[in-house]
Amino acid sequence: MIQSENYDFDAIVVGSGISGGWAAKELTEKGLKVLVLERGRDITPGLDYYGEHAPDWKLPYQGKKPRELYENEYPIQSHGYALNEGNRQFWNNDKDNPYVFDAEKPFYWMRADVVGGRSLIWGRQTYRWCEQDFTANATDGHGIPWPIGYCDLAPWYSHVEQFAGISGEALGLDELPDSEFLKPMEMHALEKTIQGRLRKKAPHVHMTIGRVAILSEDHNGRAACHYCGPCDRGCSTGSYFSSHSATLPAARATGNLTLKANAVVERLEYDAQGGRVSAVHVIDSQTGERSAFRARLYFLCASTVGSTQILMNSRSEAFPDGLGNRSGALGHYMMDHVYGVGITGIFYDDMDRYWFGNRPNGTYIPRFRNLGDQDDDAGFLRGYGYQGAAMRMDWKTGFNKRGFGADLKESLRKPGPWVFHLAGFGEVLPQYANRMYLDAKKVDRFGIPQVGFSCQWGDNERMIRDDMLEQGEALMKAAGAVFTVKQGEMGEPGLGIHEMGTARMGDDPTQSVVNAHNQVHGAPNVFVTDGACMTSSSCVNPSLTYMALTARACDYAVKQLAQGRL
Amino acid sequence: MNRREFMQCAALLVSGVAATRNSLALSEEQKHYLAKANYNRTPADYFNEAQRRTVAAVAETIMPATDTPGAIDAGVPGFIENMVQDWLNKAERGIFDQGLAELMASTQRSYGKSFEMLEPAQQRDCLEALESAASDSAWYDFGNTQRVFVSDAPFICQMKELTIWGFFTSETGATQVLRYEAMPMTFDGNRELGPDDSSWAGNPF
Repeated sequence: MIQSENYDFDAIVVGSGISGGWAAKELTEKGLKVLVLERGRDITPGLDYYGEHAPDWKLPYQGKKPRELYENEYPIQSHGYALNEGNRQFWNNDKDNPYVFDAEKPFYWMRADVVGGRSLIWGRQTYRWCEQDFTANATDGHGIPWPIGYCDLAPWYSHVEQFAGISGEALGLDELPDSEFLKPMEMHALEKTIQGRLRKKAPHVHMTIGRVAILSEDHNGRAACHYCGPCDRGCSTGSYFSSHSATLPAARATGNLTLKANAVVERLEYDAQGGRVSAVHVIDSQTGERSAFRARLYFLCASTVGSTQILMNSRSEAFPDGLGNRSGALGHYMMDHVYGVGITGIFYDDMDRYWFGNRPNGTYIPRFRNLGDQDDDAGFLRGYGYQGAAMRMDWKTGFNKRGFGADLKESLRKPGPWVFHLAGFGEVLPQYANRMYLDAKKVDRFGIPQVGFSCQWGDNERMIRDDMLEQGEALMKAAGAVFTVKQGEMGEPGLGIHEMGTARMGDDPTQSVVNAHNQVHGAPNVFVTDGACMTSSSCVNPSLTYMALTARACDYAVKQLAQGRL
Repeated sequence: MNRREFMQCAALLVSGVAATRNSLALSEEQKHYLAKANYNRTPADYFNEAQRRTVAAVAETIMPATDTPGAIDAGVPGFIENMVQDWLNKAERGIFDQGLAELMASTQRSYGKSFEMLEPAQQRDCLEALESAASDSAWYDFGNTQRVFVSDAPFICQMKELTIWGFFTSETGATQVLRYEAMPMTFDGNRELGPDDSSWAGNPF
């Protein structure tokens, strides 16, 4: 398609994670010559999944986390749930790539630093948003109205699901629309017992197997899951969706893909005369060499924080406060999910039942509060769902018991009672005060201003937390738990690793950064399709929605290009 | 790797059953990485011979060989020495050193022998006395296992944690005392559990 010598590529995609991988696939398949810029190092899928299938005795300290290393080099990443020695190679080294951390208002920015980004280490839970998620802002007045609705996204959900492969069970619920499913994974014996009891004693909730981007059957040339367990170490059979297993190979197959790793994007250059972005400025992280690339289209898919950082650092006379930021909304309305709150129940059922194979998935209870209208007894807005899973206690949960010798060994050798955990994921309201910013005084090793954050949960989030605990306790009782333990402390912002917002979508350019097609207001050849564009947060895991939004924006951009409008 | 190739690899793994039933076919790259990353490969050189004998005997008293292998069979003493040398911080190492010295001195005082020369019942008495004296430590708190380490845990708790962790995450402990399956290829959520069946080693996900 390239016609002018002024362009190096038809499109440049910044980032190679879930959103960037989709942009690369969609744009190359539509015939565009695409350059993907990834700041992390390159890896070879399979060969470089060093931790894959490594048993405990092959891991450093047999799996005890190397505390000193984590404190010195991974103080942020090790604060989350997901970093371990089987996957550390995928994560950002906080010493090499720091940001301004405010201990008073902590925000934990969980980052990958490899080609494929967080698609390698994501939780893989995939849920469609529902119509109420898109109308919530307009209904209760928090945030601005979404310019799109469920019907706009539904065909794009189908489009990405058919390619990615999502296993799950169709329920026909308005509050959790069904995806295009591969067969669902099986439940544990205790989960089936609990599901049966909840049907009778808590018919207002629906418990289902997790909907997950892991293949339960062979799909599109990728192999079904072999149930080894820890997906986050990489999967050489490509059984879970990642950029490496799915989108980047498809993009490469077109012959239209160029991928540059170690390519740190500094800023976009805006040409005021043309009213377009004319170049992207890049620093090679290994050599420090600077270069610029030109294209017709630019897709920012560098993650919520990464994409907004680039927009903020792309100042010009026309956009003194950051590219596309005539509204002043850029950097604001940061959200995550109410996270870290849960209830664990102990069960003496199904004691003669166990499992074979490691199911990398749990169960899900979709939102049941404030559906349609506000519930009478709910003092909070919006809602939450529960992820959950059953397992049996074992030596790892009981090694601090008293005793010595053969009896201790025998008791630790065998499975203990079942435990079932409900982990709440709640919707966070968009608030102007929750923001990220550039700190002009602190630059990183490339001379780029570091980002800082100022985020705190508010009353609505705390009320959601309280309701999660209260309802969760009741559900545990209905499920037959003999004993429950509550965990009521909310994780700080960022720890849900569902950070979103900061370049929100809206029809009104005085209030938003991108329009209904993820196109930056005032810079029509720039699209932001990752979590940055989110105008509200729903309570479901967001990645599937980023995939659908990205594919939809690519379709729109290429059509606009063909019609000579870009 | 497509599914067929993967199945061939899995079949190779299984066909090696006689010799290395539970060992994994790691790629050269994985081996290279693990050789580099596996701090436990470097033999620790922290204890003197007398300490080494006592630590081994304490570990074996905690997790003895029965009809299945025990701590010494599983290489736990070496794991402990390595953890004390490289993994414990200075304060924790101080607690360990002092606790070990006190144990060695007290068995000499009470029995005129070193710990490893005592009768099994006497060894057990010694450790039970230590546990009794440590019983108010937060280490014993219900559910206090989902953390990295209890930094002020007394010597006996350090020994128990390192022994039990080292034992069940060792190849011997995971494959001969627990059960280990690297390539399940399927998930069955309703598998019968016999009264004598062990837990699966590793993490379910």
